[in-house]
Amino acid sequence: MKPKVAFFDFTGCEGCQLDVLNLTGEELLDLLGAIEIVNFREAISNRSDDYDIAFIEGSITREAEITRLQGIREKAKVLVALGACACIGGINCLKNHLPMEQALKIVYGDAAKYYDTIPARPINAVVPVDFYVRGCPPQTAELVKVVKALLLGKKPDIPNYPVCTECKMAGNICVFELGKTCLGPVTRAGCNAICVTGGRQCWGCRGLVDEPNKDSETEILKKHGLTPEQAVEKFKIYNTYAEVKK
Amino acid sequence: MMTSSAEAIEIKKSVVISKQGFKNLVNSLIKKMDVYGVIAKKGKFVYDSIGNADELALSYDVTVLPPTAYLFPPRETILRFALGNGAKPEPVTDDTSRAIIGVHPCDINAIRMLDEAFITTNPDPNYIARRKNSLIVGVSDLTPSPKSFAPSMGTHIAESGFDLMLTDIGSKYIVAIGSRKGANLIKKYTKSSPLSTEDIAKQISVLDRALTRYKLNLNVPRERLPKLLEESYDDAYWKARSDTCLSCGSCVMVCPTCFCFDVQDDVALNLKEGQRTRQWDGCMLVDFAKVATGENFRQDKASRFRHRIYRKGKYVLERYGRMGCVGCGRCAVACLAEIASPLEAFNAIAESWQVKQEAKRILREARPEEELYLPRPAQLVRVEQLAAKEKVFEMKFLDGKDLGHQPGQFVSVSIMGIGESPFGVATSPTRTGSFEFAVRNVGSVTNAIHNLQKGAVVGIRGPFGNGFDVKALEGKDILFIAGGIGLFPVRSLIQYVLDNRNQFGRAIVLFGARTPAERLFVDELATWKNNPALEFYETVDRGTPEWTGNVGVITTLIPKVQLDPRKTMAIVVGPPIMYRFVIVELKKKDLPDENIIMSLERRMKCGVGKCGHCQINGVYVCQEGPVFSLAQLRNLREAV
Amino acid sequence: MTQVKVDVHYVTRVEGHGNLILDATDGKIEKLLWEVPESPRFFEAMLIGRHYDDVHHIASRICGICSIAHTTASIQATEAAFGIQPSEQTILLRKLLFDAEMLESHVLHTLFLVAPDFLGVDSVLPLAETHKDVVVMALRMKKLAYNLAEALAQRKTHPLSCVVGGFAKVPNINELKALKKRLVECLGDLDVQTSIFKTVKIPDFIRETEYIALKDPKEYAWISGKIASSDAPAVPIDQYLGVTNEFCVPTSTAKYTKNKRDAYMVGALARFNLNYNQLSTRAKKVAQELGISAPCFNPYMISVAQLVETYHIVEDAISLIDQLVDRGVKEEPDKVKPRAGRGVGAVEAPRGILFHDYTYDANGIITKANCIIPTNQNHNNIQKDLEALVPKILDKPQAEIQKMMEMLVRAYDPCISCSAHALTVTFK
Repeated sequence: MKPKVAFFDFTGCEGCQLDVLNLTGEELLDLLGAIEIVNFREAISNRSDDYDIAFIEGSITREAEITRLQGIREKAKVLVALGACACIGGINCLKNHLPMEQALKIVYGDAAKYYDTIPARPINAVVPVDFYVRGCPPQTAELVKVVKALLLGKKPDIPNYPVCTECKMAGNICVFELGKTCLGPVTRAGCNAICVTGGRQCWGCRGLVDEPNKDSETEILKKHGLTPEQAVEKFKIYNTYAEVKK
Repeated sequence: MMTSSAEAIEIKKSVVISKQGFKNLVNSLIKKMDVYGVIAKKGKFVYDSIGNADELALSYDVTVLPPTAYLFPPRETILRFALGNGAKPEPVTDDTSRAIIGVHPCDINAIRMLDEAFITTNPDPNYIARRKNSLIVGVSDLTPSPKSFAPSMGTHIAESGFDLMLTDIGSKYIVAIGSRKGANLIKKYTKSSPLSTEDIAKQISVLDRALTRYKLNLNVPRERLPKLLEESYDDAYWKARSDTCLSCGSCVMVCPTCFCFDVQDDVALNLKEGQRTRQWDGCMLVDFAKVATGENFRQDKASRFRHRIYRKGKYVLERYGRMGCVGCGRCAVACLAEIASPLEAFNAIAESWQVKQEAKRILREARPEEELYLPRPAQLVRVEQLAAKEKVFEMKFLDGKDLGHQPGQFVSVSIMGIGESPFGVATSPTRTGSFEFAVRNVGSVTNAIHNLQKGAVVGIRGPFGNGFDVKALEGKDILFIAGGIGLFPVRSLIQYVLDNRNQFGRAIVLFGARTPAERLFVDELATWKNNPALEFYETVDRGTPEWTGNVGVITTLIPKVQLDPRKTMAIVVGPPIMYRFVIVELKKKDLPDENIIMSLERRMKCGVGKCGHCQINGVYVCQEGPVFSLAQLRNLREAV
Repeated sequence: MTQVKVDVHYVTRVEGHGNLILDATDGKIEKLLWEVPESPRFFEAMLIGRHYDDVHHIASRICGICSIAHTTASIQATEAAFGIQPSEQTILLRKLLFDAEMLESHVLHTLFLVAPDFLGVDSVLPLAETHKDVVVMALRMKKLAYNLAEALAQRKTHPLSCVVGGFAKVPNINELKALKKRLVECLGDLDVQTSIFKTVKIPDFIRETEYIALKDPKEYAWISGKIASSDAPAVPIDQYLGVTNEFCVPTSTAKYTKNKRDAYMVGALARFNLNYNQLSTRAKKVAQELGISAPCFNPYMISVAQLVETYHIVEDAISLIDQLVDRGVKEEPDKVKPRAGRGVGAVEAPRGILFHDYTYDANGIITKANCIIPTNQNHNNIQKDLEALVPKILDKPQAEIQKMMEMLVRAYDPCISCSAHALTVTFK
């Protein structure tokens, strides 16, 4: 019996779901041989409320979304957060630094009364989550890894060490040595340090490791030219939900 | 003449080749196999595949990743299998031929260490396949990295482990031939000539000058590192230094001698086949020692940090016979928190150890050498009978100075003409103005001491020995177990604890005497019993009709006490037979060996580690003792 | 009494969340609405206070499908504000990267999102059993676009190597050569797609509207040029506000726009109508085969215009790779110096013209930001199209009415989640 899989999206850019379609013909056929996709609004028209595994993309930014998500959690045996918005709140949480009414009024003016919005949050702030596929966007390989793990009944092997480990394995020159700053030392690996390999630095889109040494990282950022405020701004881009919650 | 000497090229000899000749050799190799060499990239240096010898940048300081990454790569498949019944896994090795150009001597030493780890015991097929098929072309390091300390580790030169080793002497290379393969390379791909005396002189001068460029040095001989580390296990350095550690893994990933790895299985999406791969892992990563139930055997940064340094300076050397750190300095470059260098750790520990040794020497050797055997005069100000054969003597130095001792140390008391004997100091140094020692009358000197009257002057040497480590007891619960006259030195520590009460946890005193009549310091025992700052239990081996207290050997008191074995230190002093049984009871309470402290007795004469009488195996009781932990004694076979 | 009730929450096979509502009794329409309930994202608010090096990284996350378009528009706005002129190599690489996204987006839309309607299935997935070759081909083209983007920017969704002033890492020439081979083969795949499209019946519905797109005298405009309109002379891009004229409606979290008429269209059909002459010869020939000529006023033909564009895109990519191989690629150092100023960047995202408008302070920190999304600009036109279409088909069975309404929305290839936010934000 192939497990039934459904994809749902909340507030996000839908890039994570789109990447699911970034498979070769053989890979897609293999995937369809292993699972039955019953709900994927972006790609298929029929919908089903009968699913075993639900992938959730996007964070929660409206009251109605909370109810909808809870409904999905009740139906699904396994709930997987897909992408930074669902896993850690992602970029959407940047708006949490503005008072809500102010943001609404500014964006919509007098029409603001028609739109509701609540501080953005990851889905595990609303329902229990079983697995995470992290990143903005996550790599297809990691999504496939989680699917395979679910099919085999094992825990997916997602690292709990910082990006630096994979960055060194890739043979990269540390960007701190090149005059830049980077959140790699506190960000969870699993991405093979793609951003540093691509000539940039780590923004922390996969969230922090379980025991990040944030004080040490902040000191290092300061040693490399950032003011304490600038260091906080760097963390804010993806990892702001925990800060705002405080 | 040129080529005829090619026939006569022998291994272990050196020849001269031109720079162009070397390029020709490299370009020929590129046609036949994968060639990797050191290239410049963004102002740093890395190993990468090269398509032409001109890409090489051989005057480099250090590369980001070591060349060992070609022998033991970040990821490699070790098995392939089909899923389902009869999985039939098959081993996978990589037999590709390659050449690695530009390997510094420190990295060659690292390769030799990896050879020991991967080949000598349980030969590893994957490593062996790569090693066999890799040509190592080394280059002397003439422009060392500012973080390198290879000479301190003896790795700035390599005697073997390479096929060719080049030294750049300006217009040409001197090439040391390290193997038959190396000899064939020279023979086949380039012209060579023998060394002239100028060449040899130039090489010496070039290598000597390179040696002066190293900025960092080890402050102890590297052979001493294992012992130094062994004695520094509980040093506060590990916790303090690792506070800013990010557990990011950079240090272990760039290290040429690190080779820990993880093994994972992956399957294809069709769930029909899969592979087992291994990839680099590191003891500095948080979950390295974590098991499935969630227990992590190196939960904190300090223990992980310490483990890595011990691997580098001790464990690898003891296991494989080659030093675990080659001083390349890559970790020092890579570590953003700037704490990774083993050199800095070794030097810090050496300094701390030397400070401790220095402190001990100050205690022991406070007086000038000519007075080493000269007793100092002290007057008996009070004497008291404790029991039938025991008396306590209170002494004051004639010059008014305090003894300046630590609890647990001893003094040698001289009755000139009769002799000299050692006795534990029975009072705490916090009680200044005088000190006490107690004596059981068993021989000539003790008899003479027992006959002393108040006001008599005797000679005192000391204090000697190591005493109890009161720093290590701070914050702990202390279980004092004193049997008979073992109480004498223990009393000095009990008084010290009472005088510094809030530095310590619980204080539990167990005292056992053979009979009620042989109890010692009975008034003080009564005050201890009534002191709310102590928990006091007493027993006698054999009771009397008047005795209302516990009867039984002292071990019978131990089960009555509730302890937290992780924070309890047991101080045990008594007759030899008592130790064995007390240890059994303490081990039943899960006290670790390091937490069981004992004071041992041996025949003593000089008290300064020279006459040899007090030796237990390799230690002098008067120097390294009389206080020992059970952990230390496990290594002293003669001890208990 | 005949009652027609259509209530689609949310329309499938579109990016983002949109609802279609129709209430009609006895041939009289009581309610007809294209409703956009997409959660507002507040991107302009998020950009305020950000350093220029992070701005395009965040702006990219406006959309997962057209992240390259957003990244490019964002970078160009910043470069305009700082007075930076990108190098020739950078422009070539940017155009090539743009081609990658355009190819992927058009293939996704025409084959994955729209084609199922014409082939009578709910999605492309069941076609994996019945038309395996077509699915494999569609995935192959998509993968090619992804790999082309990866070669230039490490990944297609939220590209990495694009930075203000150029590229942080340049592609490997050998990789580009290999990709060129696949691009050439892709033209053959497109011919297969054309042959399929020739057999489908496109609904015949005409409603002329205003068409707006970038126009560049040198080439079919993607990332340069002026704002051209079917109804007015072209204006420079920094005068975009005079063209878009955004306003709020209660039924949509996305704003609406209008210019010379009550609504206007952007996207492939607008580009086709305005810039037809600059398409490649082969593309024009395919247009002829498929029965589309400029100007075309049938919104259902947008997908056909996309297919025509795809030929041009692939040929453009091949030509760009030839140029890059010829001149070689080299790392270019980062010489960006921020300064206070305002700049506008405009690109033709797959769905239409896209504007990013930034104001910076002297330290390179954003003080003001505005984005106008193509789908934004189409919402009003979709509503007007529905108001013209539905009365014509009200006598058909309800299921067919619903399908035609959904297909109309799908034809526009809307990217709704990006569209929900927009307005100038000023912080004192």
